[in-house]
Amino acid sequence: MKDTLNKLHKFNAHPDSRCWYVAWNPTGTLLASCGGDRAIRIWARKGDSWECSFVLPEGHQRTIRKVAWSPCGNYLASASFDATTCIWGKKGDDFECLTVLEGHENEVKCVAWAPSGSLLATCSRDKSVWVWEVDEEDEYECVSVVNSHTQDVKHVAWHPTQELLASASYDNTVRLYKEEDDDWLCKATLEGHTATVWSLAFDPTGQMLASCSDDQTVKIWKVCQSEDEQGDRSASTGPEWKCVCTLSGFHSRTVYDVAWCQQTGLLATACADDGVRVFKEDTNSDPHQTTFSLSAHVPKAHNQDVNCVAWHPKEAGLLASCSDDGEIAIWSYQSEA
Amino acid sequence: MNSETGSEDPFDCIFMADNRYHCEAYKEGLAEGTRQGLLEGMSHGRMHGARFSTEMSFYYGFACAWKCLLQNNTDAKSRKRLRTLEALAVHIQAFPHNDPQHATLQQEVEKVRAKFRQVCSMMNVPADFREYVTVAAGVSF
Repeated sequence: MKDTLNKLHKFNAHPDSRCWYVAWNPTGTLLASCGGDRAIRIWARKGDSWECSFVLPEGHQRTIRKVAWSPCGNYLASASFDATTCIWGKKGDDFECLTVLEGHENEVKCVAWAPSGSLLATCSRDKSVWVWEVDEEDEYECVSVVNSHTQDVKHVAWHPTQELLASASYDNTVRLYKEEDDDWLCKATLEGHTATVWSLAFDPTGQMLASCSDDQTVKIWKVCQSEDEQGDRSASTGPEWKCVCTLSGFHSRTVYDVAWCQQTGLLATACADDGVRVFKEDTNSDPHQTTFSLSAHVPKAHNQDVNCVAWHPKEAGLLASCSDDGEIAIWSYQSEA
Repeated sequence: MNSETGSEDPFDCIFMADNRYHCEAYKEGLAEGTRQGLLEGMSHGRMHGARFSTEMSFYYGFACAWKCLLQNNTDAKSRKRLRTLEALAVHIQAFPHNDPQHATLQQEVEKVRAKFRQVCSMMNVPADFREYVTVAAGVSF
């Protein structure tokens, strides 16, 4: 561990409440946060400090669990425990709710925009994953409901270049979905975690997938083009994902989130032991047995559980984290070399 | 020899009575238990089969009714909705209704339910699933 994470700023984003999630807009000029206080706030750097630029009007009845920016940066989606997903857009100088997506039976846990911007995925405690299509008139239509998890679905994430969707669940598995004949189907189930999988993230190239869990580990899955098997089989099921690395022994409690830096390929984790860690892939790593080492660790990054980590999309090594104590911290990763 | 064996019989009868009654009672109990179990199983199966058929028939009726309502519309949106309704109807028709021991029965049910929910969302029909799908209550994070 030779590198460091330096704290640049820390501010109370959701006083007397939990801050559940933070998301950078695609250009990295704004940081959206959501929390247990049912508020969505949008932060911007003003000189040397961070100021709240927008407070979105109350659109949800219950906790807002996650927020996601559209790839164009004009829209923000929010997933709430009130069973709805809101789509926000900028009108004049303010944000307003443009659409409310209804359909989930109970708590919506996550929302994610596909890189094309034309598809949106949501998941819920009702065990289902929904895929929505956005048309030219900005109308949203559900194109598929997939009931393949056997428990609460915690997180959904899109592949950076393909139309491939991944979900993580309380049933300890990660599932991958693809479109087939007007429907989205579960194409693969990644088994290996022994407790709830809380989050997942694709690396910038889309060759690797990191998942983090209540079992205190992070697993790295890699696409394996199975040359030894018949071509038709791999064509129907797609490439196989295999676990190539398990990071265990680093976290002393649940790992709630993982994030992969677009520029540097660094992997950050948010843990219930209040710590933020950064892992680096070893350069001499064997492609079939990838190894990662811990390169930076801030043990008491926050006063309570760290819920989310998010790398800045443009500025290499700039990281945001948020916690149950309602605070957001901004970190700068410094490499010794 | 004969008199000796003969004189042993009554004692044997008495000493073994416990064992004999135990065996008989076991057999009777087993027969009665099997009968009751079958009745109970039958009523359980009948109840669940009925509940399940009600659910599937409801979805089927829903799909047919909406198909009738939309079939003359030619706009792109209605066509799309019709396609999804058709998919729901096909799912239900292909359902293994007559095979309660079908290996993927539960998966098939989930598929039909998912399709129904998608249809409801597309039609903007608020669906109350409580009657059909029981959701585990509890704390959620």
